[in-house]
Amino acid sequence: MAECGFLAKEKINTLIEALAKKFQVFVPVLEGEVVLFRGFESGKSLCLSRPANLPPKGIIFPASDVLFRFNFQKDPEDPKKVSVELKENRDFPLTIIFGCRPCDAQGFTIYDRVYLTPETVDPYYRERREKTTIITLACNAPFPGCFCTSVGRGPATTEGSDLLMTELEKGYLFVPITEKGKEIIKAAEFEDGSPYQEEAKKVQENAAALVRKPFEHLEKLPQKLLSLFENTQFWEKEAAKCISCGACTYLCPTCYCFNITDEQVGNTGERIRSWDSCMFFHFTLEASGHNPRPNKYHRLRNRVNHKFSYYPQKYNGVIACCGCGRCIRYCPMSVDISEIVAHAQGA
Amino acid sequence: MSYLAGKELRIIGFLCNWCSYGGADTAGVARFKQPTDLRIIRVPCSGRVNPLFVVKALLNGADGVLVSGCHPRDCHYSEGNFYARRRLEMLKRLLPFLGIDERRFHYTWVSASEGARWQKVVTDFTKIIHELGPLHPKKESTE
Amino acid sequence: MSIERLREAVKKILPEVDVVIGYRQGFDPLHATPYFISQPEQVDQLIWNPLCVQNLCSYLPFLKGKVGVIVKGCDSRTIVQYMQEKLIEREKIKVIGVPCLQVISVKKVMAKIDYQVAEEVAFEGENVIVKTPKETKTIPLAEVMPRKCLTCQLATPLQYDILAGEAIQANKPAEAFEEIKEFEQLSLEERRRYWEREFDRCIRCYACRNACPMCICQDRCVAESRDPHWTSQRANLTEKFMFHMIHSVHLAGRCVGCGECERVCPMDIPVAKIKKKISMDLKELFDYQAGINPDDLPPMYTFKVEEAKIKEHEL
Repeated sequence: MAECGFLAKEKINTLIEALAKKFQVFVPVLEGEVVLFRGFESGKSLCLSRPANLPPKGIIFPASDVLFRFNFQKDPEDPKKVSVELKENRDFPLTIIFGCRPCDAQGFTIYDRVYLTPETVDPYYRERREKTTIITLACNAPFPGCFCTSVGRGPATTEGSDLLMTELEKGYLFVPITEKGKEIIKAAEFEDGSPYQEEAKKVQENAAALVRKPFEHLEKLPQKLLSLFENTQFWEKEAAKCISCGACTYLCPTCYCFNITDEQVGNTGERIRSWDSCMFFHFTLEASGHNPRPNKYHRLRNRVNHKFSYYPQKYNGVIACCGCGRCIRYCPMSVDISEIVAHAQGA
Repeated sequence: MSYLAGKELRIIGFLCNWCSYGGADTAGVARFKQPTDLRIIRVPCSGRVNPLFVVKALLNGADGVLVSGCHPRDCHYSEGNFYARRRLEMLKRLLPFLGIDERRFHYTWVSASEGARWQKVVTDFTKIIHELGPLHPKKESTE
Repeated sequence: MSIERLREAVKKILPEVDVVIGYRQGFDPLHATPYFISQPEQVDQLIWNPLCVQNLCSYLPFLKGKVGVIVKGCDSRTIVQYMQEKLIEREKIKVIGVPCLQVISVKKVMAKIDYQVAEEVAFEGENVIVKTPKETKTIPLAEVMPRKCLTCQLATPLQYDILAGEAIQANKPAEAFEEIKEFEQLSLEERRRYWEREFDRCIRCYACRNACPMCICQDRCVAESRDPHWTSQRANLTEKFMFHMIHSVHLAGRCVGCGECERVCPMDIPVAKIKKKISMDLKELFDYQAGINPDDLPPMYTFKVEEAKIKEHEL
């Protein structure tokens, strides 16, 4: 194992202050009763006791991102001649996301397969992704709704993280996963972490054992869900209580759908990419007025199938759900995607 | 460009086509002098004014909003201004709750012959908005 | 009120309707979830306790056929308001009223148990007892009561075809809008900063809009329309504020105070405050309270030639 570092709990803020000199650092903070990621400000305390309400996906994949600004210019000699001036907006500083959970970090690998394909690379996403280092905090206990172990992950999953920290009794063990992680270990002052590896392993194993398992046997799941596609009765029953709001998709670390709109006033404007949700009626609304997914059961079926059937079939069986449980925890009606999957397996 | 020179503030007016727009016209014909900050949007009736028009104007750069219609009982469409009165009173009370000074929104009734009164409304309202100052800090881009 | 009595009531009306909407156990002991019952075997899974917080009436305008629904007092105001606005055909709805003195704010309980996983939940007397891996906590129900229960006058629902229990009176003070009046004591700047801080967290997920029983335009909401272009896709404060203004102003005189909007917000924004302020103003101006009398007309739908409480404003 590469060099790992140990840091006492009291020294975390000092570590972040040091990192903040070279990076813009995002940390989880408590605002009222809500935990969310904000830019680090000296003196502000972090909240590492529970996962953030909103995952840090907005840092690499912003809720609303100006892609470029445009300006139409009319030729004063010939008003019919219009030229357009474009100003791209891609600058992004070196960034660290500190203290997200393994499920949050793992979500970015789901995006990578889609946005960083060999044939087409999304330059906006790539810019942010490459400039960001993710320091993840492993969970030592599950939270309401979590089921990461059922989807092939766990409370200490390393995929998607650059550096994994595990909370121990006296401090945190930092284990680098990638080159970026190794850079962080070198850049700041850590004690030698090797004496703490045993303790960390135990903490991680204990945590994994506590996570609930609503379903198993993922291999046959994609096919099973496809076979239920025409089963309207099944989907109507599962979607009956859904109110089709979109909270689940916005809070989901693996949801990556977007919308592109031009906001223009007069001759100037911006092209904006913003989050879209497959649970919205507008998601598949076509210009003619036709909508292939007019009912909420169509949309819920699509959401479940995308994560547990279409994505795994395209990408070697990888389930596009990280099991963080936010969609269950914050759903106004407590729609439970893990229960829907369990029902599908039994149907 | 007087807005950018700091001399004018952005005041939007929603005037009903029949009474208030006529009243403003009367004021113009009589050459009454008024401050030029006000930009008028003509609507068929004050009842057409969605309270959200006022909110959108204030949130998107207006420093003050004025709504004017026919006097109650004199609405060209009989009842429009009765609805307007209810909606706009609700809005007038709501704005300060959100931290927007309620003096930035004013609704009144000006008839087509009241040119002098129109001049007074515009002058007084503009004066108040100037005293209150701009609602938003000046922005550079179209953010 | 016993759960058996409720289950009996449901079994009784089930033959007359296509579906009965009630509650069953959710993903963990702290969460109930809506349950759509169409077969008698399902009735055994029906539950009733202070965790049954969702307003089940929100489904009614979108369901065809005959529907049965379980309502608490606060939910029954929704039924009355739907009747005022003719959004449901009352004869096609079978209402099972349940007397209720309070529900629990799950958010408040979560804060008290440090956001741990609830393994067991029990109700004993005036307390709720929650067992987590860390501890077993006894929490007085009064401490985790949502704000709406503090001034609830409708312990017995206003509308019902069957009452699954004995009619009870709540001995609670009437709504005096103290929270609003207290807020209005702050300075203008403080109020503006408060809303700027709160709305900054908004992610425009539209959970508040979709959970609202009176927001029935949902799929065709103007806040999402491109033409007219009320809001843009920018995620700045202006757009978030605008969305909330659209939502609140469209609910003026229609909001029944069920509190669902605030309950479902994943970012804990006090969205119900604005609606409460409007309700307070409309009560004062027009002596109107939404969802009380089916023969009323919401104040924004009508007018009086002489308005006693509206004085002309001078500059």
